[in-house]
Amino acid sequence: MSQSTGQIQEQIRAKAKELLENKVRCVIGYEMGSRGQVRPAFIYQADDVDRLVWNQGCTHNLTTYLRDQQKAARKGEQPPRVALVVKPCDSRALNVLLAESQIERERVYVIGVTCDGISEGSGFAKQAAVGNPPPALQHRCQHCGERVPVVYDLLCGEPRQVDISDDYADIAKLEAMTPEERVAFWLKQYDRCIRCYACRQVCPGCYCNVCMFERDDSLWVGIAAGVKEKEFFHLGRAYHLAARCVECNECERVCPMKLPLSLLNRKLAKEVQELFNYRAGVKPVKAPLLTMLAEGEEPLI
Amino acid sequence: MKVITSDALGAWLDRLASETILLAPRSVDGIALYRPVAGSNEIVFDYTRPKMSPKEAVFPSTETLLSIEKHSQDVTLSEPVQEKKQVIFGLRPCDAHGIAVLDAVFVEKEPVDRSYARRREATTLVGLACPQMWESCFCTSMGGAPDDPSHMDVLLTAVPNGYAVNVVTEKGKALVADLELGEMTGALPHPTLGETVQPLPAERWPERFADRYWDLLAERCIGCRVCAYVCPTCRCFDVRDEVAERRTGFSRYNRLRCWDSCTGPNYRITAGGHNPRPTKGQRLRNRFFCKFYYMLQDYGSTGCVGCGRCIEACPVNIDIVEMLHDISKEPVISEVTA
Repeated sequence: MSQSTGQIQEQIRAKAKELLENKVRCVIGYEMGSRGQVRPAFIYQADDVDRLVWNQGCTHNLTTYLRDQQKAARKGEQPPRVALVVKPCDSRALNVLLAESQIERERVYVIGVTCDGISEGSGFAKQAAVGNPPPALQHRCQHCGERVPVVYDLLCGEPRQVDISDDYADIAKLEAMTPEERVAFWLKQYDRCIRCYACRQVCPGCYCNVCMFERDDSLWVGIAAGVKEKEFFHLGRAYHLAARCVECNECERVCPMKLPLSLLNRKLAKEVQELFNYRAGVKPVKAPLLTMLAEGEEPLI
Repeated sequence: MKVITSDALGAWLDRLASETILLAPRSVDGIALYRPVAGSNEIVFDYTRPKMSPKEAVFPSTETLLSIEKHSQDVTLSEPVQEKKQVIFGLRPCDAHGIAVLDAVFVEKEPVDRSYARRREATTLVGLACPQMWESCFCTSMGGAPDDPSHMDVLLTAVPNGYAVNVVTEKGKALVADLELGEMTGALPHPTLGETVQPLPAERWPERFADRYWDLLAERCIGCRVCAYVCPTCRCFDVRDEVAERRTGFSRYNRLRCWDSCTGPNYRITAGGHNPRPTKGQRLRNRFFCKFYYMLQDYGSTGCVGCGRCIEACPVNIDIVEMLHDISKEPVISEVTA
């Protein structure tokens, strides 16, 4: 990463210290965990801000924790004010959550960080120690040209432009298959799934209190870890994330069975971009795409 | 001790694969998993530990316990047919230890779980000793060892030109009965050992029950079930009757048993919708108390075998070894603040 990594870390710590004096209850950032891993950190005391780090292993999309951290202690009370560190991809999730009325902008202080990409293997024990030797970038970062968060109160790091555009080469490969080949490809992938729901749990866009795939009445899908159930789960989740997925790709990172979930999400993102010229979370919008009204249209309710 | 050449082992595995169900480490899209193999050429030998434990072979993630058929007013119940014989080859000593833990729960104490017992009875364990403890391994702290034959039927150890064969049980003896084995000369190699941790003695766990530590640890927990599903000893399940077929005058339901995990938010929800374990901290605490306290109370042995799978699979670095170190120290804070 750029030479300013250390400076960014200092900026994050200084701001966290200031915020924790009386402005926020908690700062959600990154810290060094066991075995050379980076992990999410929840800092409540100004004295603890030196735990916060910024480096190329900071893979987690911390906006997913807002659903826990933004809950009011008692009914009728305001949710606590929190601060969190976001990368450009993570920040897009904030626009999605704002458009869906899941968070209140003034309850979240956003420490945005410019990002040059995150290392492959980040967040898991089996990676080499951070920075030594320089590991490859994650696949998602190799075609990402976003360097500056789209939402922030403080920006850490020097904003810079890069000329990287996403050519969707991975999706083109899939689109070149015959429907039969594609079905065979996906069924083989779904077969490995163990229904651990890590993909769903880590996703900032999956915040339903009761997931439709886990209803006690099995209305939509049964409890078996059969390939049909798993196919339905993954396709259902992908459709629920269409025009909402910000491609942080945490779902693919956390999958213990290495399902190529980015192919599902990116295919839909590509369709949405082509059909509506829309990318989830890139700009603040009043409502999610699928409920957006054309000019002159009135809401139905 | 006896010894078998690599070629003879290959031929034996080929024969086992044709005569019975042979499960062995196989590369599935680059991931090592215990899966049925058609012959020894499908088996990977340079694995550490497969991503999933062999628990799947005796306690599958989905099974039909009972079929219920209804012809107008007549109801017939039937249990699935007897399990076919299977051999699991290449399981690691920690994995065999894991199966021993499952045995303690499912068959060694009443009521016996019939479905598990049938499958377990039909299973023979042929292990492969680990040459070393790998990153995240801590089996020696959980009563095991990389070369521990205790819970195997047969344990093989790689030696120059082949494998040393340690026949542990009568079941193992029957399996290798018609094999031509040579005499082993020299001693078995010593595996390289790795990290150790001293768990808090069971009787001291209750002191830590109300500790704020669990809430702090669980803040980053995303509430998925990876840790439980990769664990060789986690064995919680959900049971539900699902419609398999329905037409006029006839319906068939399957009583399914599927893996579940106490780390999931809806695991403890009771009839009426009450959740007695509503926070992530309580749920994570339960998982660890189950391993290191409840299991000892109920079955006399620790529920963790030190395979390290949960450490490697957790997306947010909840590290069971780190936890064991942490709670051996003085209580963090016993009062919930903030």
